This record gives sequence, structure tokens and C-alpha cells, in this order.
Amino acid sequence: MRKKKLLIISAALCLALIVTLLPAMSACGPATEKTLKIGMSTPSSGPAAEKGSPMGHANLDCFKYINEELGGVAGYQVEVLWLDNAYDASKAATIIKRFMDEDCLFFTTASSAMMTAMMEIANRDEFPGFACFSSPALTHPPKHIYGQTPDYGDDWAAFATYYMENIWKGPGKPKMALHLLNNPTGYGARDAARALADELGIEIVATEEHSTTTSSEIESLTRIRAENPDVLYISSTPAPTAIVIKNAVDLGMYPGMTIACGHASFTSALVDLGGADVVEGVYGVYPTVNWGDDVPSMDKMTEYCQQYHPDDYGNMDYIISWAQSLIAAEILRLAVENAGIDNLTPQLVEEQGFKKMRNFDVGGLHGPVSYSLDDNRLSKSVRVFQIEDGELIAITGWVEAPLIKYEEFDWYGK
Amino acid sequence: MDLPAGTRNYSYAQDMAIFRTKTHWALLIALLVILFTAPFYLGNYWLGVINLIGITIIAATGLNILTGYCGQLSIGHAGFIAVGAYTSAVLTNRLELPFLVGFICAGLVAGLVGMVFGIPSLRVKGFYLAISTIAAQFIIIWIINHWSSVTGGFVGITVPYASIGGLVFKSEGSQFFLIMTITALTIFFAKNLARTRVGRAFVAIRDNDLAAEVMGINLFRYKLLAFFIGCFLAGIAGSLLAHWIGFMNAEHFSLIQSILYVGMIIIGGLGTTIGPIFGAVFLRGLDQLLTMELTPFLERSFTALPAGFATGIAPMVFGLVVVLFLVLEPRGLAHRWQLFKASYRLWPFSY
Repeated sequence: MRKKKLLIISAALCLALIVTLLPAMSACGPATEKTLKIGMSTPSSGPAAEKGSPMGHANLDCFKYINEELGGVAGYQVEVLWLDNAYDASKAATIIKRFMDEDCLFFTTASSAMMTAMMEIANRDEFPGFACFSSPALTHPPKHIYGQTPDYGDDWAAFATYYMENIWKGPGKPKMALHLLNNPTGYGARDAARALADELGIEIVATEEHSTTTSSEIESLTRIRAENPDVLYISSTPAPTAIVIKNAVDLGMYPGMTIACGHASFTSALVDLGGADVVEGVYGVYPTVNWGDDVPSMDKMTEYCQQYHPDDYGNMDYIISWAQSLIAAEILRLAVENAGIDNLTPQLVEEQGFKKMRNFDVGGLHGPVSYSLDDNRLSKSVRVFQIEDGELIAITGWVEAPLIKYEEFDWYGK
Repeated sequence: MDLPAGTRNYSYAQDMAIFRTKTHWALLIALLVILFTAPFYLGNYWLGVINLIGITIIAATGLNILTGYCGQLSIGHAGFIAVGAYTSAVLTNRLELPFLVGFICAGLVAGLVGMVFGIPSLRVKGFYLAISTIAAQFIIIWIINHWSSVTGGFVGITVPYASIGGLVFKSEGSQFFLIMTITALTIFFAKNLARTRVGRAFVAIRDNDLAAEVMGINLFRYKLLAFFIGCFLAGIAGSLLAHWIGFMNAEHFSLIQSILYVGMIIIGGLGTTIGPIFGAVFLRGLDQLLTMELTPFLERSFTALPAGFATGIAPMVFGLVVVLFLVLEPRGLAHRWQLFKASYRLWPFSY
């Protein structure tokens, strides 16, 4: 019996050894010509896998397209070291060291949370990187980490700017209430409102918080109703946002005031959860186009998605990561063009790649990408949408969110 | 303890010695030489993995003292690690105190917080105590996220490099020496603690707390002491983690991490000094190999696989291996190590 046990354990260990050595064996081979190596990490397993998995697929599909159809970047193949961080901060901390150890020129992540876990290690070594989803902590103060899309605070700033220019017609200051998820998604909008409301001429009359598991917000909305706001801004995920809007309808607050949402909740899931009649007329901001929109990159992205990962078709996260790979390729192209292939270092790539980006068009998938001094947000634009007959209809072109210098406020991070 | 044939003890000192034979000493020295020369032959990535394993061993050793020796189940260990990490971060960043002050205070504050959450252990045990320690996990993380004037809240807090005197632990290699030295000291402490009056009291409480009380062991005192020591070690592990990563937010201390720590001491072997080492090396190592090697290999090589298969295989294999270990070797890797040592000593004879 004991021998049998020993045999099973030995077999299991052998199997584990073979499985772990396979990649190493496959890596052995003749030396190849010079390539451009970058690191990419997505939470493709773990608690955020539903977002991270399509994002990882999009990253790799896009570089497959770049290498096979476009012949790489500036004539050089791009080698992507892709690693799954499983949305685990400890693992992320070792992944960044691996990227640096394997001489990657820069790195990318999907989520702001995983970038947060990596950023100090990267900043200490001046190793540049950028994240699809951004938060103020990544780019304020600006160091070596960049944000691909506007953060939740930028959402608020872009919508508030649009609201003041296009919707508000009354005298004096409009009264705005905030309904925020109790995490960075909500607090990003809160901080932006705190920084910019006075400047934009908006009076924040109420700030309420909710959790991801909320089932009723009647009480908080009753407090908000007492302040008689002109606009309610919600920065949350789809399910709580749907509940807030439903409750606002139940209390007779909506229609009658403007409701707007940040990009974390403004997807088709909001319509499905809230019901098309309830969310009719709600405004929202989003940093990318929709599937099927008539933009230059759509056809190729759709072709690759349907060929290699058809399950991801329709997922907005796939779009943002496809765009991320296009931006990564452009950074490499600029760096090679400006600094040459032979002496490229992460520091050179940052100076000659990241910082040379000027109005790069990501095939129309999201707003133009530019670097400007002291602003590490690569894309600063969102589009304002409105729900009409259950559809998310874009009602503006790209609206630029103003830069908020959070680090200059005493309250930031306190 | 079994001794190799022909080895005898002639004094209490010899009987109490951890390393008794020349072979023991030779193996220890060889291990230390291999370990402490690692920065000369390993790259930063593997040093980083070993640093993470070292920090994990310290925290798992703390949990093993609390759960493995004293029998007080805790599922809030990541919360106590967070207390240490933030204590050190706040003292060294906001108050600009030296690393050593932050490091020691991290252990003390985490130990005291652990004692507070350990108070229910006098009245409840088993699953009920587990639930109360889960509460610790949630309460601590909530406080960290909302006491933003001190902790930085959701934005997080930057942590400077560890430094002692003029020596700044900047490189991965220098951090390796710091972390491994503290890990070695922790293991030595845990090994000796288990052989003291306190350690024996812990074991007595674990085996039968009623009988232990009848024998004169003050349950309240020793249970709280176990919480203090276990959480003190969690605190210093948190401090090392904070200075190693350089930036802290609550993402590092999820409930999953707490559960993983319990898994480590079970797989390693509860109530043994070597168990947390085996558990931490095995689980962290397996996790790294599966997600860093196997998954990218599958994703790169087999594009025809269904979506999500490559990324799903790592957690599946991880779970399968853990289950297999629990089924085939419920007493942990430490027991398997004991069997190996026994058969090595008796070889070539079976008995």
C-alpha cells in the first residue's frame, strides 16, 4: 500500500517536472535575428478573469497581426513576453522583475490595480510601462508609468465640461449629486469633483456611497432628493448603477433631472440590468468605440477576434487591449526610428518612444494618443453617449478631459 | 528524535542540540552556502521569487505557531500582515523613522492587534474562531482603505527602501540578504519556541484545552501569547513585503491570501517547524511555475485551444495538486520528509 502511494506521488512529481520543463525545452533553439521584446501582463485567471482573459487574447492577437501581416515594427519582429498575473499583487511584483530581468523594453498591464502593485518597482528602476485602465495614483505625480485611457476622475471632468457647455441652460451654478462605489472607481470621480467643481462652476450638493452588493439605494437617494440636484453623476459598476437609476425612477426623481455614468458602468450590461425604459436618456462616457463602428481598425480586429477567439467578440475589453497593442507597436516604432535598434534601453524607449507620441490615431478605436509634458495620460479623451431605445448612441466626438494636478492639492492621498 | 545508528547523547546539551552530527552540520553549511551565494548566480526575477518565498515563510511560520502548535485557527492572517506592512510604511514614510524602528513596531502593532482579535478564542474555537478571524481580515482592510489620512486609502502609500545605518537595501540581491537573514532567524526562533515551556503549553492546548487547563496552563494567557507571536511574525513579514515592493495598497492582502497561508501550513505539515518552509516553497513555487511558465507556453504554442483553456489550466492543475497532496499525504510534506530521513538512515534495511 505504502509502495503504491509512493509510486503515485513519484508519478505526480515526475508529471509536474515534465510540465514545468516543457516551456524551458521549447525555448531552446538556434539563435534568431534581433527582435524587440516587451512584457505584457493581464489578469487572465483569478477574480478579474472575465475582463483579463479577453484582454490578454487581444494583446496577443494584435501582435500576431503586426508580426505576420505587417512584418513586425520597423522591420523587426516583436517578441511579447506575456504573463498572467491572476490579479494577485504578490505575483505582479515578481512579474515586473521578470520583465526587467529578461530585458524587455517596456511593459503593459490591463488593470490599474496590478499596475499599482508593479509601479514603484518600475519607477525605482526607470522602467516604463502603461496600463489600459488608469487611476490617478499611477500618473500623479508623473514618473515612468502611463495611462492608456482616461481614469474615473477624467470621466467626471469630461462629462462635467460637456454638461456645462451643452446641457446646463439655467442661471447660476447647477447642483450636482454624486453616487459613488466605495472603491477607487467611485473615489476617482469624487477627487476630480473636489478638484474641479468650483473651477467649472458646479456646486456639489451631496455625495453618497454604495457597495457592489447594494440592493436598494432608496435611503441615500431620499437624502439626495432633499437637495434638489440638477444632475446625478454615478461612478460605479453596472449592477449598482442600475439599482440607483431604478430607485431614482421609483422616487420620481428621474426623468426630471440629468443622470450620467462613468465608463465602468456604461456598457450594454447597464441596459440589460436596468431595463431599456428605465435607463432611457441616461448619459455616459466611454473611452473606446463600439463593436461594429465604422473605424479603420475595426475590420482587422474583428477578423482576428473571430478567427482566434470568437467567444470574445462583442467584449469591449478586447477593443481596449487591441488598441493597447497598437500603441505599444507605435512606441517601439518611434523608439527605433529616433534611437536606432542597436542601443535601445527602456530609458531610451521612454524618451524616444513614449514621449514622442503626438496625436497617434489608434485606428479610431479610441481617442488620439499624445504625450504632453507632466501629463502621463496617453489618451485624454472620452466620448459622451446617451441611451436611446436601449442603444448606447455616441452624441459627441472625442471630448478631452482637462489635466487635474492632484498632487498639488493638500488633500490628495489623505 | 531518531538518531543515526551509533550516535549517542552523553549530556542534556547534546540531547537538546538541533544539529547533532557532522553530517547535519555539513548539510546545514552547504545549504547556507548555496542559499547565500544565490545573488551571484541567479537573476533578479528568481531572487524576487525567493524573496517572496522568504517573506511567505516568515508569515506562514507565525500562522503555524498559532494554528499548528496552539490549535487556534486563523483565516485573517493576510490582515495581520497588512497591519505590519502599513505600520512600517507609515512610520518610515510619513514619520521618516528608521527602517529598524518601523520593522520592530510592525511586529509589535500586528501582535497587539492579533491579541485583540484573539480575545474571542477563550470562548470560541474551531470554525467559530475561524469566522471571528475572518472578521479581522475585513475590518483591518476596511480601516486601511478608509483611514486615508494615515494609510493613503485607496491611493496607497509609497514605502522607502529598507536601510540599516548607512546601508540601503536597494538591489534585489541586497534585499535577498536582508530577507533571508530574517527568515533564518525566524525559523531558528520557531524551532526553539516549540521546545520550550511555552511551546509545550501550546501543544497541550491544541491537543486538549480542558486537560491543559486542569494541568495548570492558563488558557487565556497562552492563547493570547500564541496570537501575539503568530501575528508578530506576520507583522514583520508585512514590513519586509512593504519595503521590498515599495508601494502598498490593500490589494496585496486579500482573503484569498489568508486562505493560501492556511493551505501552506496544511500542505507543509501542521505543527512542525519545517512544514511552513515546505508549504511556502511548494505553493509559491508551483504557482509561479504554472502561471509564469506553463500558461504562456500553452497560450503561445496551442492557438487552437478553446478560449480560456490555457489560462484555466494553471488554477486547475494547482487545485488538483493541492487536493492530491491532501488525499495522499494529509500529514503534509514534513511527514514525507520524516519518512525519507528514516529510510535514509536505515538504508539498505527496510526496518
